[in-house]
Amino acid sequence: MKKLYGIVAAAMMLSSCSGAEQNEKVSRSVFAMDTYMTLMAYGDNAGEALDAAVVRIQELEAKWSVTDSGSEIYKADRSPGQPIAVSAETAELVAFGIDMNNKTGGALDISIYPVLKEWGFTTGSYKVPTDERIAELLENVGASRVTVSGSEITVPEGMMIDLGSVAKGAAADKVCEQLREAGVASALLDLGGNVQAVGSKPDGSKWKIGIRDPHGEGTVGTLSIENKAVVTSGGYERFFTENGNTYHHIMDPSTGRPAESGLLSVTVVGESGRYCDALSTSLFVMGAEKAEEFWRNENKGFDYIIITEDAGLLITKGISDDFITSSGRGDLKVTVVE
Amino acid sequence: MIRSQKFWIAVCAVIFAASAVWCILVLTGSHGNTVTVKQDGRVIFTLDLSKETDREFTVEYEGRKNIIEISGGRIRMKAADCPDHVCVNTGWLTANIPIVCLPNKLVIEYAEPDTGLDATAG
Repeated sequence: MKKLYGIVAAAMMLSSCSGAEQNEKVSRSVFAMDTYMTLMAYGDNAGEALDAAVVRIQELEAKWSVTDSGSEIYKADRSPGQPIAVSAETAELVAFGIDMNNKTGGALDISIYPVLKEWGFTTGSYKVPTDERIAELLENVGASRVTVSGSEITVPEGMMIDLGSVAKGAAADKVCEQLREAGVASALLDLGGNVQAVGSKPDGSKWKIGIRDPHGEGTVGTLSIENKAVVTSGGYERFFTENGNTYHHIMDPSTGRPAESGLLSVTVVGESGRYCDALSTSLFVMGAEKAEEFWRNENKGFDYIIITEDAGLLITKGISDDFITSSGRGDLKVTVVE
Repeated sequence: MIRSQKFWIAVCAVIFAASAVWCILVLTGSHGNTVTVKQDGRVIFTLDLSKETDREFTVEYEGRKNIIEISGGRIRMKAADCPDHVCVNTGWLTANIPIVCLPNKLVIEYAEPDTGLDATAG
């Protein structure tokens, strides 16, 4: 009889490796906010929660789109100069954009849209504008002139705002919050390269996030995270070449031209998706030195990984132990910023 | 009693063997060469790159075209009539990053990316 129990126990043990249904991965994909998004979650409510998340993302896109004539931002951009009533979450995000403009000394500007459009980055009809045209457009750039009062926003006549630099991060924050409320303890969102995690993997280990190699295929390394957002901005994401010069889509609001800060990409890691989203763009515009200064001024309240044009990788102390450089990028000169 | 005991041993042995086979399949299941082509979220092609011959084919979406090329076990977007050509610039498909053509809602990706990564930021 002992032998029998032994066999039964062995059979049950082996069978149990197929009994992981509650940890089965559920995923959804959606085209929204001008990108391709993948959401995955584990647990009992995962499927329903992800369906609701997709609906939520589409609702936010309908409010924040700069091109959809039904959106709140579209209306505010054509007010002209009149206060426009918007939803609380739109007013709040615009206020956040204005606040970040101030905080970053103008490196992030939600009113840079007309300049970005002139370069063709919103349509794909790329061109290098004349200096005169850029100067003319810059007269109507300056997020501090946009005002939010209660649930009304006012975009001065001639100006346009676009939440593209914060919308994906903000959407990820809202979706993560919604997933947690639905009882999901383990989920990972990839909103077009903006990654944000709820909890850790079902087995308790951290999520492994690759950091894209700005030079091409593959990654520069892997970062392990839980309950964090990881947002990367890089010139490689969208660019064009004219007369041998390459022009990328990250505009320096002070010049109205692609930022030339000596960086290839900036990854920001932190609790808040929209903050990381805003900062990945801002730090790229600032360059390595000013980025480090900003990080100190913010009491090191976030972490970053900066890849410089001269093959340097700058990583803050808070995440350096969770980062492993890819075997193929041993040429990168790694500096830990403390 | 003895017959009954032998019977249960046999049953357990069968469950054991079946479980073992299942586990082996799950743990060593081959993935890495299967690529899916999705249009507007729907899978329109599933391709095993290790078995595909070199060829090109065209996918249409609302009158717009993407030309997909398979060559030497690799796959890429060879041409697209969208304005930005982000998909073409992505080059050959790698495990980490899907090839995405936003205007034509076309995605080429590995069915089971086996990179050890959960996502890629960038």
